[in-house]
Amino acid sequence: MRVAFVTPRYGPQVMGGAETAARLLAEHLVAECGATVDAFSTCALDHVTWRDELDPGESTLNGVRVHRFRSRAGRDRGFYDLDTRLRLGPRHATRRESERWVELNGPVTPDLVEAVRACDADVVAFYPYLYYPTVLGIGSVPMPAVLHPAAHDEPALYLPVFRSTYASADALCYHTVAERELVERLHDVAERPQMVLGLGVGEDAGTGRAGGDALGLGSRPYIVSVGRVDDHKGSSMLAAFFRTYKERRPGPLAMALVGPVAAKIPPHPDVVVTGAVSEADKWDIVRDAAVSVSPSALESFSLVVLEAWVQAVPVVVNATCPPTREHCERSGGGLWFGSYREFEAVLDRLLADAPLRRRLGEQGRAYVDRHYRWPVLIRRYERFLETVVARGRRQPASGLLAADPA
Amino acid sequence: MTVPPGATHGTAGTQETGGTDEAMGVYLASVMAEIDEEAHRRRGELPARLERELDALFLEHAPMGNRQGDMSAALRMVDASVFIDPVVPVASQRPAGAAVKKGLRSLNLWYIGYVTHQVSKFATAVSRSLHLVDGQLQELRRLVPPPSPAPVVAPGDAGSWWRSTALDVLGAAPGRVLHAACGDGWLVRDLCGAGADAYGLDPRPDAVERAELDGSDLRSGEVLAHLRSVEPFSLGGAVLSGVVAGMSAGERSELLALLADRLRRDGVLVVHSLTPVAWTADDAPVGADLAPGRPLRSGTWPHVLAGWQVEVHQGPTAEDYLVVAQR
Repeated sequence: MRVAFVTPRYGPQVMGGAETAARLLAEHLVAECGATVDAFSTCALDHVTWRDELDPGESTLNGVRVHRFRSRAGRDRGFYDLDTRLRLGPRHATRRESERWVELNGPVTPDLVEAVRACDADVVAFYPYLYYPTVLGIGSVPMPAVLHPAAHDEPALYLPVFRSTYASADALCYHTVAERELVERLHDVAERPQMVLGLGVGEDAGTGRAGGDALGLGSRPYIVSVGRVDDHKGSSMLAAFFRTYKERRPGPLAMALVGPVAAKIPPHPDVVVTGAVSEADKWDIVRDAAVSVSPSALESFSLVVLEAWVQAVPVVVNATCPPTREHCERSGGGLWFGSYREFEAVLDRLLADAPLRRRLGEQGRAYVDRHYRWPVLIRRYERFLETVVARGRRQPASGLLAADPA
Repeated sequence: MTVPPGATHGTAGTQETGGTDEAMGVYLASVMAEIDEEAHRRRGELPARLERELDALFLEHAPMGNRQGDMSAALRMVDASVFIDPVVPVASQRPAGAAVKKGLRSLNLWYIGYVTHQVSKFATAVSRSLHLVDGQLQELRRLVPPPSPAPVVAPGDAGSWWRSTALDVLGAAPGRVLHAACGDGWLVRDLCGAGADAYGLDPRPDAVERAELDGSDLRSGEVLAHLRSVEPFSLGGAVLSGVVAGMSAGERSELLALLADRLRRDGVLVVHSLTPVAWTADDAPVGADLAPGRPLRSGTWPHVLAGWQVEVHQGPTAEDYLVVAQR
């Protein structure tokens, strides 16, 4: 089977949930199913500017043939004005306004779309729904198209331009049931072939070094939050909550924020902001944490929650984030908070109750073993793609796509 | 590990690992209930302004739709934003910046204070109105009985007498065929084997949890919610077994309206139901007692589906029947 992935950024240097997910699926399809996989992407690493940083052209990465295209335009400065205006009432944006939003958001890549259209893949997987390559590509390819929305409840999801994106998908692949429910609340796609897949995780890839040593905390207990340190990911909120917590609960407890930094976190003697770290360091740090916190309300899957469970570390998640909360409710591997008071009560309880931490961690690990190990997961995905290929391309709805806005 | 002062051990914390998924769910719920109670008990411990600021930080990036449509969370956010502070921050990275800003602020404070006072008054009035609306909505909610979705009762299995009829009429369906409640997917697999493009839906999560792993297109969900998200005139057929008999009249009416819109003109509807006699028998399934509605007599279906060609197939024991309808 020949599979093409379309994603706006591609590569191990890219820190982005959807892009990482696309790359992992592509690589595991090659390695474990013997599929021929092409990835169509841009030369960008930064999802804010979409600046061309990598060389255009073809290369091979872990068995996947990667085709990179320069962007005709990255994110336009005018995007922010339009976005600010539309996010107040995205459902009421006009079709033209929301098309303009997609153009200004970038990356504008008509060459990429043309190349996907002309490729010889049996099926094309578009990942995620939000950007130009998917919006312009999914309705125009001749082969069956699978949409991996990677959607979360954000204003953009309500823009009218995405109706045709969803309507053009022959099949959908979701990260979680919560994501499927969200998409189906907004789009009439429930009868389409679909699956809730998620992502696979591997085993602990740490070196065995104590996490406290990696953080310079010695033997102090700590909680950890892994992922981009960003306002939108809840990092500033978590830092403020933790500062207040420490004012009310002085003691040795520290917090580590692990990941590339895109937000200003005020310095605090009990908060360590590591920046990007190696995979080995990340696993070492998470393994020895008392609790792993996912403060983000805008996740569509959250690999870091599953990685904590691989090491039997209990998690605490944002109560308003349906996918991470779904993980906790289905697995019994974590708790959630919806305010500072709940955050404090959850943390107090977990830190004081070692059997509870152990039990949550074990239940989380069992959940990962049951659902998110690569060999089983990638075979399910392969079978799913085969059924999509067998069904063929459905008749595109009329008037789906605007003319190329570039 | 240091135990924070004020931390409490709840009763749920003393249990040890083990048990079924259901037991795990009960355990997790009990832990969260204890935490909620503890959080509630701590109300008022933090300075009100700090708590408002922290709440606002939390809600800043909360999802638009908010999963449960949580009005109180939305109102907390409104309340946290009601007061507009006229005292503009003056911190600056430049040496004289803070002094310049402070000077400008002093010069303009009366004017800015006047404007922000008007805005705060307006926001407070809006917030009060929203609280009133919320109060009235809660009052209405107390008056209206909560919706009680019909349980699945006698959904059938691979040995059901009506299996072959369903396969005959749907094997060549002109589009995707939905089976609700699909259970472990027994009919979905048979329909796919017969050439149809079938998928299944079941509100009982356990049934689908297992089936999801074998790669079938089987999902957990309620049939009404599902049909609302189906593209109009896209289904080639629908089999409803175990889900219609206990529906309330309102639910059944909405179901039939949705099916009329979601099935293609040449689509086929198959409904399996217990008879009213079997529904009220002493040995009827427990779900029959818990359902908000009761099954129709088989002869009622041609009236309910006026405009459709309806065939009724009686079961061998007069306990159930099958309706096959086509426009």
